[in-house]
Amino acid sequence: MAPIIKVRNLHKRFKDPAHKGEWLEVIRGVDLDVEPGQVIVIIGRSGAGKSTLLRCLNFLEDPDEGTVEVDGVEIRAGEHSRERTQNIIEIRTKAGMVFQSFNLFPHMTALQNVIEGPITVKKWSRERAIAKAEEELKWVGLLDKRDEYPIRLSGGQQQRIAIARGLAMEPKIMLFDEPTSALDPELIGEVVEVMERLAREGMTMVVVSHEMHFVHDVANRVIFMDGGVFVEDAPPAVMFSNPEHEDTRQFLTHIL
Amino acid sequence: MNRGYVLKLALVWVAIFVVLAITFRLLEFDLPFMLNWTGFLFKGIGYTILVSAISILFSVLLALIGALARLSKNPIANGLSTFYVSFIRGTPQLVQVYMIYLGLPQVGQSLETLGAPGWLADLFVLPAIPSGILALSINYGAYMTETFRAGIQSIHGGQREAALSLGMTQGQCTRRIILPQALRIVIPPVGNDFIAMLKDSSLVSLMGVMELTWRATKIGRRYFRSLELLTVAAIFYWIMTIILQTIQGRIEARLGRGRQR
Repeated sequence: MAPIIKVRNLHKRFKDPAHKGEWLEVIRGVDLDVEPGQVIVIIGRSGAGKSTLLRCLNFLEDPDEGTVEVDGVEIRAGEHSRERTQNIIEIRTKAGMVFQSFNLFPHMTALQNVIEGPITVKKWSRERAIAKAEEELKWVGLLDKRDEYPIRLSGGQQQRIAIARGLAMEPKIMLFDEPTSALDPELIGEVVEVMERLAREGMTMVVVSHEMHFVHDVANRVIFMDGGVFVEDAPPAVMFSNPEHEDTRQFLTHIL
Repeated sequence: MNRGYVLKLALVWVAIFVVLAITFRLLEFDLPFMLNWTGFLFKGIGYTILVSAISILFSVLLALIGALARLSKNPIANGLSTFYVSFIRGTPQLVQVYMIYLGLPQVGQSLETLGAPGWLADLFVLPAIPSGILALSINYGAYMTETFRAGIQSIHGGQREAALSLGMTQGQCTRRIILPQALRIVIPPVGNDFIAMLKDSSLVSLMGVMELTWRATKIGRRYFRSLELLTVAAIFYWIMTIILQTIQGRIEARLGRGRQR
């Protein structure tokens, strides 16, 4: 099958906050193919470039070099045109994103959060958007919270609403940026459960997370990233029992 | 606060009013004269409220445009906004009022000598009330541009990212996600500005608008009873601001409710 995500020679640099005038290369030439329906988990130390890579996939970060192709829409680094802006929006509607800090819109109820994308971006009618939103809220088990404001919800509930908000756009891919890192330990399970269900339903997922239950149970591939490159890319069973690189082995002893 | 403290506080207020009453007595305040003209002064309140209410509307509009321009990456918009805020905040309000009332007609005249049609020149001769509204709007717009900018910048960056990741354009994101949250934050400072503007609207008395201060000084001078009528005017301003403060408090309480657990 043709890959649904195709990344070639991706580079991303940031200004170095510690040394004025110098640049930090956070992503140093990454290639990535993701098949439809695959669940990929990226692990690695803080600063390895995991989140930056994820954010380059939907252009919340603009890469400095390379190409990103999502479901047939290809964007090159460094180009600037009206068409490119349109392409970025198209990629974003195909790839939903869930953030570490939820980022629900605080001035909207749960339902309003979920219908916002379909109505504003996809120009759906209000009735259609509400029907879809209620379906997604039910799917994450929070239909009874449809009229609550985010501040009245627990972190786990907020994150499940955020997942519903992404799914209401009917994306082909979901990107998860450390979705459980900001949660109290007892709330992690409910979010992981939703993510596992999503994986079983065949959603293509790219996940930055160290949530080992999730990695063990549903990941097709685990990628260990270090210093802006992929060190190792293997199925979880292989990665955890018999890692190829010493770096991977060392890192795994820290998190397992 | 315990009851003893409240009682002492009340006593202080009573004492302040007693001292004021004695002072007025010693200064031989003409009470019947004051009461006689209170109705006339009261009619000036209409102009005061009219000028401030319209000006606050225009200044909010200017501030919104100014703040968005200030935060945009467009160098022209950014430059214009920065100049506007810097110049208006850096010059006295009185000078601005006179520039619009006395200076603009001169601009019209110059345009006419340059060959502009007469009707265009006439547009630059503004009557007193529009001049006052224009001056107050431009002045407060500049201060409020900074308020609005801070309000917009106080919205966490994750909000914009979440909106963009749904596929919204920058404009949709600003309108639907950022501004509604920022406006809620700037309501208290805008309320403060409205209260300040109610008092600053007395500046338009300089242009002969028959508002509260104009009436007080006009009649006060005629009978050499300025202190009496200025006191009446001051009390009117005071009452109006107290009413506005109460309304502001109610609005804030209502908005706060949606934000509480």
